Amino acid sequence: MSNQLDDKPDNRVLVVGGGMGGIRTMLDLAESGHGVVLIDSARSIGGLMTQLDRTFPTNNCDLCTLSPHLSQSGRQARIELLTMTQITGLEGERGAFSVTVKTAPRYIDMEKCTACGECYKHFPDCVRFTPGLDHRAPTCMRYPQAIPQAFSIDMAACKDVQALVDICPAKAIVPNDTEKIRTIECGSIVLAPGAKVFDPKGLDYLGYSSQPDIVTSLEYERILSASGPTSGQLVRPSDGKQPKKIAWIQCVGSRGIQKGAQSYCSSACCMFALKEAMVTKERFQDSIEATIFYMDMRTFGKDYELYLQQAKERFGVRLVRCRPHSVIHKQGAEGLEIQYLPEGQSQQVYEEFDMVVLSTGFLVGDQTREMANILGIDLDSHGFAKTGSFTPVATSKPGIYVAGLFESPKDIPETMVQGSAAACMAAGDLTGKGSLSNQDEDFPPERDVSGEEPRVGVFLCDCGENIGGVLDVEKLADYAQTIPGVVVAKGVGHGCSSQSMESIASIVESQKLNRVVIGGCSPRTHEKRFQDTIRKAGLNRYLLEMANIRDQITWVHAAEPELAAKKAQSLIRMAVGAVKMARPLADSTLPMNKSVLVVGGGVAGMTAALELSGHGHKVYLAERSAKLGGNANNLRKTLEGEDVRAFVNGLVEKVKAAENITVITSAIIVDHSGIPGMFRTGMQVGPQMFYRQVEHGVTVLATGALANRPGQYLLGKSNAVITQLEMDSLIEDNPEKVKSWLNVVMIQCVGSRTPENPNCSRICCQAAVKNALRIVGLNPDARVFVLYRDMRTFGLSEDYYQEARQKGVIFVRYTQEAPPKVEQGQDGCVKVVFNEPVIGADIEVEADCLCLSTGLVADDENNEDLAMIFKLPRTKDGFFLEDHVKLRPVDLPIPGFFVAGTAHSPKNIRDSITQAQAAASRARTMLAVNEISTNSAVAKVDGQKCAACLICVRACPFSVPFINAEGYSQIDPARCRGCGVCAAACPAKAIQLMQFEDDRILAKLESLFERMVA
Amino acid sequence: MEKFEPVIVAFCCHYCAYTAADMAGSQRLDYPPNVKIIRVPCSGKVDAIHILKAFERGADGVYVAGCLEGDCHFKNGNLKAEKQVQYLKKSLDEIGIGGDRLEMVFMSAGMGELFARKAKEMTEKIRQLGPSPVHTQLEQQAKQKAS
Repeated sequence: MSNQLDDKPDNRVLVVGGGMGGIRTMLDLAESGHGVVLIDSARSIGGLMTQLDRTFPTNNCDLCTLSPHLSQSGRQARIELLTMTQITGLEGERGAFSVTVKTAPRYIDMEKCTACGECYKHFPDCVRFTPGLDHRAPTCMRYPQAIPQAFSIDMAACKDVQALVDICPAKAIVPNDTEKIRTIECGSIVLAPGAKVFDPKGLDYLGYSSQPDIVTSLEYERILSASGPTSGQLVRPSDGKQPKKIAWIQCVGSRGIQKGAQSYCSSACCMFALKEAMVTKERFQDSIEATIFYMDMRTFGKDYELYLQQAKERFGVRLVRCRPHSVIHKQGAEGLEIQYLPEGQSQQVYEEFDMVVLSTGFLVGDQTREMANILGIDLDSHGFAKTGSFTPVATSKPGIYVAGLFESPKDIPETMVQGSAAACMAAGDLTGKGSLSNQDEDFPPERDVSGEEPRVGVFLCDCGENIGGVLDVEKLADYAQTIPGVVVAKGVGHGCSSQSMESIASIVESQKLNRVVIGGCSPRTHEKRFQDTIRKAGLNRYLLEMANIRDQITWVHAAEPELAAKKAQSLIRMAVGAVKMARPLADSTLPMNKSVLVVGGGVAGMTAALELSGHGHKVYLAERSAKLGGNANNLRKTLEGEDVRAFVNGLVEKVKAAENITVITSAIIVDHSGIPGMFRTGMQVGPQMFYRQVEHGVTVLATGALANRPGQYLLGKSNAVITQLEMDSLIEDNPEKVKSWLNVVMIQCVGSRTPENPNCSRICCQAAVKNALRIVGLNPDARVFVLYRDMRTFGLSEDYYQEARQKGVIFVRYTQEAPPKVEQGQDGCVKVVFNEPVIGADIEVEADCLCLSTGLVADDENNEDLAMIFKLPRTKDGFFLEDHVKLRPVDLPIPGFFVAGTAHSPKNIRDSITQAQAAASRARTMLAVNEISTNSAVAKVDGQKCAACLICVRACPFSVPFINAEGYSQIDPARCRGCGVCAAACPAKAIQLMQFEDDRILAKLESLFERMVA
Repeated sequence: MEKFEPVIVAFCCHYCAYTAADMAGSQRLDYPPNVKIIRVPCSGKVDAIHILKAFERGADGVYVAGCLEGDCHFKNGNLKAEKQVQYLKKSLDEIGIGGDRLEMVFMSAGMGELFARKAKEMTEKIRQLGPSPVHTQLEQQAKQKAS
């Protein structure tokens, strides 16, 4: 497990914190050829996310997607994990740090512990307490896939040490274990310690400490979780009954002025409350009522607005805008009474609920503050690490970077992006060189299975409730056992957990299996992992079939469990039939092209180009227009007041000065070919449209977005009506004019969150607050009205919203159904009429300036062309769609493509820079290898059958087949893309596509219909 | 009489339709379990023999699902598939199975909703057409064998 590193200190990074962010940083660095020491004060890594049942917006268990990476990381030679470890001292500087760390005693020899659980079974009191609702509290393996797979002992609680030592069959218990101090030499440090969750005990009006049925959102997650204390049964902690009516209360401990509460917004709570409400509704449908009490619904992330619509419309989640006064338990009453004043009403409402969930926010823990103090980095007034708008992951101390919640409150995708960005920056400080070979792992020699009768093993995942909640996995295994050729069939719980994978591998070996079927999730996400598993057991990796009984059965047929069970039998039968036909295949390799093409010369594109060129890669930076800078050329100030123009000019200078960056302006991409690692992209350049082709291994897409300009509210018709972007410049260029204004009205969500463009543009609320503050800064007497639907000043920008309110900016809410009315007024003014919901009256303002928050929209025309040329999918509103919205937010679905900036979704300059650094880091993981593995699913010709009829030559979309000297068709496996069009077209059936051979597909059909015919 | 539950085979291309099916899963969109998916790298890989074999063995309906026009990962495999399907529809008419039982559909990877809708539409349509003549004949043969 804890391999000693073979990398030298000058090629090593210390990562503090093993949550999602830290893990991302660690994996990126290791995959790019650097050494990593990861320390975590907890007993196993995984952070907060391991306690979540499911995550938004896909509502699936991301742990299942992540844990295979983790179990892989546990074996990586260049990673060392130190749990129960904290920093105690720092010396040195960027490039040569010397960090002292202290590891608490675990009293367990991790090399020996097999996590069998015997110690826990006999001495449940001797293992440490796990907070939350976990009744199995003692277990120190916080989640079933815990890394490291080892328990830990609380020696202080142990009365009979010798008996405990004797009970361990592995002799792993070390009663005299002591605290260890160690010095770690490294070139840079990444801090990803995560955050604490707010403890609502102090807020007595919520009754959390006295009422068991009032729980925090994290506790609610544990109740929903299949690995939680109730095994996923939703019951009230007080009486074990299923609740009928549940309320969520938002902003508990966030956006608050109460004792102990934080003033900022915790960013993720609106989405997780919606998720919890939706998951609850999904499980219990009409038998349960879900209500969310909220202040502003802050669903500002990519496609999050659609998630909100889905919660309201499809799942019937009830949303009530107000901050409840109190939650009380009346004597004798069964439920809890929430007292609240609905918006626009003057009467308090008393409503009873069975359970109340408090959406508690994040805050920086004392331990983290202490660490910051030891390291000497600056914190802001809330305790978050201070960073700059243009250096979003760099702390105040050179060589120390930050990712995740310690930077500011955020959700998982943003944490993942920052984790990669921090990896990119930390790698930049390393002077030593890393190297990577393709075969990181030692696989045993492959067993020759030719001539053997098929011996199939069927392994079925329950994926917690995801599959097990709908299908009886044991019954399905019993059924599978009856299929001819099946030797073993059994349930494996979470098949992707390292434990299950090891168990599968050992069964393959012990039972001499020569074919494996996994019944679980999609081969799209997990085939590689399970291929590795059987490869480790000595089988060729292609002797595997996956039956997708989760995504394509239990997730979609939950309402019809009997038919779902039948379909599952069919799918397993088909997979067994097909896998019997599977043939072992050999992988081949080609040299990797280490150059990069960056498409788009805005801030994101230039940042990615500079980072990659800094790591020695040749970069082609193609920009469609004649000038670098993109949208940022029109920006002047950030919300924090930094000078955008100076920054952009500096960036352009650096790009132009960089020796290994070739800038190609006025370039239009026209064609693209090749495979990941060996791409070829053609473009037409300059006014003469000269054709030019570049060869590159990876591609970063940073093509930006367009400033929206819908023809609403007299925009373009009255000089008094402008956009926030124009306001930003006007304030800089003509402050006198701004000073002369008496009344300014801003309207939010113009052209966003509408039926035509349903998404939130994310940046406009900050832009409005920024400009409102600058206007009242110039003229404190100016009256500024901001008409909004939800103020989405998420994270730390909430402070600026508060400041604007304190400085007299008036925020008035409007609804989509009753938008403000605008008409031409006197003396070049415009007349704005809007309803003020608190007083319930219409208000008329003669505005000197009406400023519209118009946001960003996808550059539809350009993106459509690029999507066609590169074969990349897009979201409904035209932005590029990432591979996994949660865990791979900058990787595009086509390997070798990465996305940065507003081509992904609307975002501000700071987030664009972060994403560009992240894209560079992700690209580096690919560029680090010297060879690329080519596709094994290629077409093969049987020369004996080939009649050289030329049909394949004509059918192939990539002109690969040719008639060779021997007179039959030949297909170069390195160039074949594996579509199988030639195989389908071949009249002699001389061509077979590997992995999708005709007999394999026909076997599926035969197996599917076997039952019905017999 | 028991409700007729048709068996429908959907050949789905890996990059778009199969991904859309997974997407329908993560969005928890219900569709009839009658549809059984066979994954292929590209809809252009679907051979006449695969489609005919499905009918021969008793499928009541078959559809091939590929990427939207212009989105095909392999340039135009989806259009080749469509041609194939159109051609086979005629043959199915001629041999008495009925070309209506075979369809070509197009969708992008993000269209989970469309995948679920197409699955529903196809199931409803085949339900209305009734069991495939091949299927009924196979059953009769089986009965005769049994008696």
